[in-house]
Amino acid sequence: MSPSPLWATIARKEFYDAVQSRALWGIVAIIAVMTSLSAAITLLVPGSGSGAEMALGGASQFAGVLVPIMALVAAYLAIAGERESGSLKMLLGLPPSRGEVVFGKFLGRSGVVAVGLSLGFAVSGVVTAALYGDLPIAAFVGTTALTVLLGVSFVGIAIGISALTATRGRAMTLAIAVYLGLTLLWDLVPTAVHLAVTGGMPGGVVPAWYPLVSGLSPTGAYNTLVQRLLLGGGAVEARIGGPTPGYLDPAVFALVLLAWTVIPPLVGYLAFRRADLG
Amino acid sequence: MDASTRPTSHSGDTVDGKPAAIRAAGLTKRYGEDVLAVDDLDLTVYEGEIFGVLGPNGAGKSTTIDMIMDYVRPSSGSATVLGYDAQAETRAIHERVGILPDGYGLYDRLTGRKHLEYTISLKRADDDVEDVLRRVGLDAAAADRVVGGYSKGMTQRLALGMALVGDPDLLILDEPSSGLDPNGVRLVREIAREHAERGKTVFFSSHILSQVEAVCDRVAILNRGQLVAVDSIAGLRDALDTGSTVTLTLESVPESTTLTEVAGVTDVAVEDRTVRVSVADAAAKVDVIDRIREDGATVLDVSIAESSLEDLFSAYTGDDPARNDASEGER
Repeated sequence: MSPSPLWATIARKEFYDAVQSRALWGIVAIIAVMTSLSAAITLLVPGSGSGAEMALGGASQFAGVLVPIMALVAAYLAIAGERESGSLKMLLGLPPSRGEVVFGKFLGRSGVVAVGLSLGFAVSGVVTAALYGDLPIAAFVGTTALTVLLGVSFVGIAIGISALTATRGRAMTLAIAVYLGLTLLWDLVPTAVHLAVTGGMPGGVVPAWYPLVSGLSPTGAYNTLVQRLLLGGGAVEARIGGPTPGYLDPAVFALVLLAWTVIPPLVGYLAFRRADLG
Repeated sequence: MDASTRPTSHSGDTVDGKPAAIRAAGLTKRYGEDVLAVDDLDLTVYEGEIFGVLGPNGAGKSTTIDMIMDYVRPSSGSATVLGYDAQAETRAIHERVGILPDGYGLYDRLTGRKHLEYTISLKRADDDVEDVLRRVGLDAAAADRVVGGYSKGMTQRLALGMALVGDPDLLILDEPSSGLDPNGVRLVREIAREHAERGKTVFFSSHILSQVEAVCDRVAILNRGQLVAVDSIAGLRDALDTGSTVTLTLESVPESTTLTEVAGVTDVAVEDRTVRVSVADAAAKVDVIDRIREDGATVLDVSIAESSLEDLFSAYTGDDPARNDASEGER
């Protein structure tokens, strides 16, 4: 039997750590409660249109705000925290390279977030099915999978931040800035671009590039993909008032999510590889 | 593949016909414009020896180890460890080296046992956890507690145990005694000796002179990033001519003595009935006693003090080094 790769050993330890610290169960509980609640609200508010799909849409709206925070919190200290405490010196005095450490930590923390989100969604799936009497399995599994992808992309971003910074404080500052920028302020970007290009605020029908710009952030890409999954392509055509161009294909937004998952840890690694550990 | 089955020094890195465990050539680390942490260090540590690096806090000991371990990249110069390049072949080095780094930390939420298991699996070693615990004097109850509740001494013992995992060809201990009680300090010495007896190399740094003196075959003295001296303790003594002091208590001091004529005597000081004679070589000690009796004195008491490493150190660096463990660690 050949021994498991060093990054796998690191990833396993990271996962075990999260189970020990109950971080995993925190994610499960928060997601289960919040998405169940938002699914229920659709039922309670009259006239909001009911049905399990709408409930899933409500849950995903909530997840789009919540999941980035949880993923960032779950991973932003992965490397910077160890660097500040000095345990990184013990770890890097052992055979794993810096690349294996970054990769192992990314995998381990992604596993925590993915398992936590899946279990949380499973609970809210049961709740939704109980409330609405049925559960559209394909839409539910799809939404869960997209939410996991969103979580993993923010783990990637958090690992990148953690590899880039030497102290917990700086990692936290950067994580907060990234959260505000990518999830809250990003909504303003397409509006600002619209204002700059056309001189007016966006109306009911927007240019085709508008949803593209909206969907370039991880959360934007996630929202776009979930909408496409739950509502189909018709909603996009209505929004832009015409046929959907190729660059609004779901695959483009899937690529955007993938890029956010891969590029930040890569950038972090490149800086970390050359860093002096004091 | 088991690390211990591989040849120790893969490229047969030898200096003066002896295999080198660590070789630094022009090793330099500069931080910013004006901090020169390590300045053009040339140093060879041979396999099988216990080598001590001595110097006050901030002398560059930890930075040197940091460069050897690739925690920090040299500004210029190079280092090889067991024949491997410290910058390019770090994995090969880290498979064969055990390190107790300066300013290390452990995982507060993991037990001592988990720490050792993690180290063993990352090193692909087959050590028995109980065996390691026994070597560093941690009992099973302590091993099953999380490290967050450990005392400094227990933490240090655990970290030492982690360094021993995989029976490394080279054991690097940066200020290993900090936080340890006298038993712990003795343990570090025993571990170092035992390691060297099996042909392995021990490289350790300290700002506490007696610890280096007690265990090291050779010593390097670092000061302000520069290598000031490398030799055995005896060699350093000889080179500096700071031999021993013979203190004689006499019934009465003779009118005239001929002590200064004795070969090897470098200084004579008389105070009341006490005569202090500094001698440069060992044989002169007995001659001094014989001569003073020939001079007609009755000797009531004799004491002989070897010059301490403190004296040596001051002579080399012009600084007063720390005498005991007043300050822990360095940065």
